[in-house]
Amino acid sequence: MRTTLRLAAVVTVSALAVTGCGFGGQGSSSSGDDAAQAGTTTLDLLVPSYSDATKANWEKVISGFQAQNRDVKVNLEVQSWDNINDVVRTKVQSNKAPDILNIDAFSGFAKDGLLYKATDVASPQTISDFQDSFKQNASIGSDMMAFPFIASTRALFYNKDLLEKAGVSAPPKTWDELLAAAKKVNALGGGVYGYGMPLGNEEAQAETSLWTFGNGGSWSDGDKITVTTPQNLEAVEYMQRMVQEKATQPNPGASDRTPMLNVFIQGKIAMAAGLPPILAQIKDKNPSLNLGTAPIPTKDGSPVTLGVADHLMAFQKDGSKKAAITKFVDYFFSKDVYSAWVAAEGFLPTTKSGAEQASSKPELKDFLTSLPTAKFYPSSNEAWSATQGALQSQIGQIAQGKSPKSVLDAVQAKADAAS
Amino acid sequence: MTTSTAPRSRWRASAAAGPWLGPALALILAVVIFPAAYMVWVSTREISGFGVDRGGAGLENYRRLLRFEAIGQVLTNTVVWVVGVVLLTVFISLGLAQFLDKAFPGRQLVRLAVIVPWAASVVMTSTVFVYGLDPFYGIINRFLVDLHVLSEPYGFTQRPVSAFLVSMGIAVFVSLPFTTYTLLAGLQAIPGDVLEAAQVDGAGPAAAYRRVVLPMLRPALAVATIINIINVFNSLPILRTVTGSLPGYDADTTTTLTFKFIQADRQIGTASALSVVNFVLVLTVIAVYLRVVRPMRED
Repeated sequence: MRTTLRLAAVVTVSALAVTGCGFGGQGSSSSGDDAAQAGTTTLDLLVPSYSDATKANWEKVISGFQAQNRDVKVNLEVQSWDNINDVVRTKVQSNKAPDILNIDAFSGFAKDGLLYKATDVASPQTISDFQDSFKQNASIGSDMMAFPFIASTRALFYNKDLLEKAGVSAPPKTWDELLAAAKKVNALGGGVYGYGMPLGNEEAQAETSLWTFGNGGSWSDGDKITVTTPQNLEAVEYMQRMVQEKATQPNPGASDRTPMLNVFIQGKIAMAAGLPPILAQIKDKNPSLNLGTAPIPTKDGSPVTLGVADHLMAFQKDGSKKAAITKFVDYFFSKDVYSAWVAAEGFLPTTKSGAEQASSKPELKDFLTSLPTAKFYPSSNEAWSATQGALQSQIGQIAQGKSPKSVLDAVQAKADAAS
Repeated sequence: MTTSTAPRSRWRASAAAGPWLGPALALILAVVIFPAAYMVWVSTREISGFGVDRGGAGLENYRRLLRFEAIGQVLTNTVVWVVGVVLLTVFISLGLAQFLDKAFPGRQLVRLAVIVPWAASVVMTSTVFVYGLDPFYGIINRFLVDLHVLSEPYGFTQRPVSAFLVSMGIAVFVSLPFTTYTLLAGLQAIPGDVLEAAQVDGAGPAAAYRRVVLPMLRPALAVATIINIINVFNSLPILRTVTGSLPGYDADTTTTLTFKFIQADRQIGTASALSVVNFVLVLTVIAVYLRVVRPMRED
């Protein structure tokens, strides 16, 4: 018994000693060393998982790239959206930032001086192929700091059968029409609901933005984060009205987007804001759903939607991998590789050549045509991350009866604290 | 003579024990002292939302914590959470342990069944409850509606109070196995002749339990309570899974609030400050417990 204990103690301590070395150091991957011996460069690529196929899609890109560039080796790490922000933060804090990162917001990294300018790590051809609105959205001042990676816009998904049953002949264009139509569906009873409003933590900022943008509101005046504008307040008050007049599913304040859309796919919610990848999910999970898509209803019916662009960015670190990063970026954004990746994940492309190829797909037409009216999050503002977090964790309180003004004030306070 | 040699020989004894204590001390240093000290250090730094250290911040992180509007609510929640879960767990476990201590056919199977919540991952158990209680497709909600207990499905996990109570229920459920087994081991260590003697002296079952069994269970109870306090205080997965999508701070404890500071607000410094407060709180609670209850006292 004693000997076992002693042995156990020794083993534990040596294990600790081994893991202890990793704390804050360069880690045990030592990719630089063996790579240098073989005359190759190793690139660490950290990406979020968009779907179950994301890893395989990336592996296809990487094997294609390595076949052409035998002197560059790419290490892929895939993380869930839930974790990737923590993972990146920990890596940056311990000097183990990836070489290339795919994530939503880039400005915080850029402001901390961690990133290459996009123009330094891509050929002019690659840069000039990006659509201008996305290029601007990826810039701080006049410097393009990241590559627009993929985009999505939202459209109103509606269940034709449910609307018909409730006596609604056409999808709503304005808020008042939406409220009226949704109330009619809720009045049907039997566990069906008019409008799916996901204000839970998962993506409450997206739903809120659809409403505020639909009222001419904005989260930024170009310089500061502006949450408490009259337009935003009016929009959030209307959201609360939707809840109070029972036009939504129960407890919208705690409904996350994914479970809510699952209920929509099951045919129990008549209308909800959806995005391109949901089309594939519906085809897969409930192909008999009688689905229609329409522009997002706005206050006066003028078209505007939320556009979301994720970004690809390159970390400078000691500056030794610039050439290899450039090769990889140019390869990834070349027309065929990029189009195949975007199509496989069901998103919208951010390049001109990609848009040409995608326009041949009829199911994406509604989304592609709404791209010009899309408004983006002010993600080049470094306080946006905290604002988004505050919206996610607070805005749902309007569905629990808290006054829209006090909720927006609280969000504004978090934004001010972060800037 | 003896008084002068005693300290030296004690010192020598300690030195001789060195090689055997060394690993344990190194372990404590590496996994307890160092991370705790690092945490205190980070709580005095200004860290950007993206992990870059921007220099010293003094006590600003702590001040920001004090200014935080929901801190009172969160502290109250934490007290309700820890006291409620630990009391319920110990109380139910005392009964369960007594039951499992009796010989009856199939006892092995029942004992095994009690272990199951322990063996399952806490996230998995919580997720099962969350799905079960979902108002749209949850089987528990459906069951309650079919039994006419509810007229329509209720969003148990979608309202702060009910979601918090559900979380407490799950926390009790997953804490029972460890507590029950600790108490069961304590019960089995009580010699039968002591109980017989109590019986001979005329003690009824209630008096025997109160005057003989409970005092002899004290060490086991102390271990079970302290470990439960620490576990429950620091428990994250249950509340994260059940109440994670709720807006606001109505169902947060200090531990889940730490995560909200990191993930939603990107305030790593404030989160570290709260962790330090958490650490001090749990140490205080245990010190008070040891002082007041004196569970280690040997009669």
